[in-house]
Amino acid sequence: MTIAPGLLPEGLRDRLPPQAEAASRLLHRVIVAIGRHGYARVAPPLAEFEEGLIGRLKSARAQDLLRVVDPVSQRSLAFRPDITGQVGRIATTRMGHHARPLRLAYGGPVLKLRATQLRPERELVQAGAELIGNDNIAAVIEIVLLAIEALEVAGVEGISVDLTLPDLVETLSAGPMPVTRIDAVRDMLDAKDAGGLAALGAEAYLPFISAAGPVGPALERLRALDLGQALDSRLEAIDAVVAAVGSRAALTLDPTERHGFEYQRWIGFSLFGRGLSGEIGRGGTYTILRPDGSEEAAVGFSLYLDPLVDAGFGIEPRRTVFLPLGIDPAVGRALRAEGWTTIAALSDRDEPGALGCTHGWDGTAPVPLQAR
Amino acid sequence: MAEPIILAIPKGRILSEALPLLARVGIVPEAAFSDENSRALRFATNRPDIAIIRVRAFDVATFVAHGAAQIGIVGSDVLMEFDYSELYAPVDLDIGHCRLSIAEPAAMAASDDPREWSHVRVATKYPYLTRKHFEARGVQAECVKLNGAMEIAPELGLAGRIVDLVSSGKTLKENGLVEVEVITQVSARLIVNRAAFKTRAETVVPLVEAFRAAVGQAHAA
Repeated sequence: MTIAPGLLPEGLRDRLPPQAEAASRLLHRVIVAIGRHGYARVAPPLAEFEEGLIGRLKSARAQDLLRVVDPVSQRSLAFRPDITGQVGRIATTRMGHHARPLRLAYGGPVLKLRATQLRPERELVQAGAELIGNDNIAAVIEIVLLAIEALEVAGVEGISVDLTLPDLVETLSAGPMPVTRIDAVRDMLDAKDAGGLAALGAEAYLPFISAAGPVGPALERLRALDLGQALDSRLEAIDAVVAAVGSRAALTLDPTERHGFEYQRWIGFSLFGRGLSGEIGRGGTYTILRPDGSEEAAVGFSLYLDPLVDAGFGIEPRRTVFLPLGIDPAVGRALRAEGWTTIAALSDRDEPGALGCTHGWDGTAPVPLQAR
Repeated sequence: MAEPIILAIPKGRILSEALPLLARVGIVPEAAFSDENSRALRFATNRPDIAIIRVRAFDVATFVAHGAAQIGIVGSDVLMEFDYSELYAPVDLDIGHCRLSIAEPAAMAASDDPREWSHVRVATKYPYLTRKHFEARGVQAECVKLNGAMEIAPELGLAGRIVDLVSSGKTLKENGLVEVEVITQVSARLIVNRAAFKTRAETVVPLVEAFRAAVGQAHAA
């Protein structure tokens, strides 16, 4: 069967001008902003041995990986679906001897095994920061504020942060609120499925569904449940995050959300932006497994930049001047130094408008091309 | 003022029961909404911050999952069929009750033992749900996707069995079918887009509360 010219596999695409440039501009801005806070950049490879990609983060669920058999080593290679685990590997192997807390930043493409109707892309650009060696409240606040700042420099407005307590259900079911089918209860809470929860006989957890919402009222409702120490310490932490964020972002609290927080520990968060239809990033605390089996606490966040590019962020209007044949190269150099983009004529048939120029050259200065 | 919240309501089965519930929540659609002949798809309500769209039940879930509508009313059958990750179903509205069942011709049922199945051929509107249900009990289901009139499929030899919604059982009976197994009980749910629940919490969360309270009132009455 022949493949139609230009057809790409499902979920993969070409980025053309101006989006390709916008994508690299956004990635650069985000990485620079993160770097200013002392997060040094690392760049793990796009693919590695399958067993190296899984099992590095404690309680990560087996992921669907895009695999190939490496013809050289005859071992299974997999493309990374997420860079966080790779950063964990670097932190506990090659950089295991570096002082803690270790602050690392990263940005690059990831590849998912399959696309969904809701997230049709299989290749995504992920950028983020990981703080390894500490997951206390101060570390969490640093990461949450950094995530907000990274979105701000990318141009996102109306940022909203949804806080969640990923291990709350486990903690409660082991203590004051026992349930028989914890996985089913967790799935129902994740989908906020009140009917399904009642059908499982876990009505005790219904107040957590109604508690979700803006952080102030949500905290009040959770405090009213009076579930003892386990919940209280977490709510105090949420208070501290709320105070630190202030008015820089809208905060909501959703105590039992699990979406994408499979490996997160005591606190997690998702990031949303006005006018952007889905989640644009997420983060939280987690545990890295060292090669010797011991554990290390960490906290970090990731942003997905493609939804921002698709929404038109990072595109800047260009001033492009057409340089006719025979012009002194020094003129072009001077214009580029002033911030102009130049396109030089290669033959007298070159058409400035068709080549994307906004300005022509009148012999002394750029002049706007006549709109046609 | 911000864009209005879009509420997606299904045509058909659930609609007549949903309208009184909406009224208790304090949402009254414009007159054209109840006009069978109106070809409009989007309607204003008495609340300037809420507009209503009327679409097919399966499309309600799709509109809300993608965030094209922020909230909606849909049967739990549709939710289970799509299993969208971006949908919340925070309120069981306790309307639109029925069940999703497996049915087969009466003659087949007389000699059939479901414990011996290894492969079944099923006509249904719910291929995902059907396959998942049969897989869980070790049976491979070959699904023929139909959009309606499933009941005629066994008689014409399209598929031996069907999986469909049953309320009174009258349609099954008229087509010589008997219900052999209930897959799940179904009721209508209020669904909310996950991102809208976070980013438009100031409008969406009180609306969810209002629906929860309206269902509570109905129980008390």
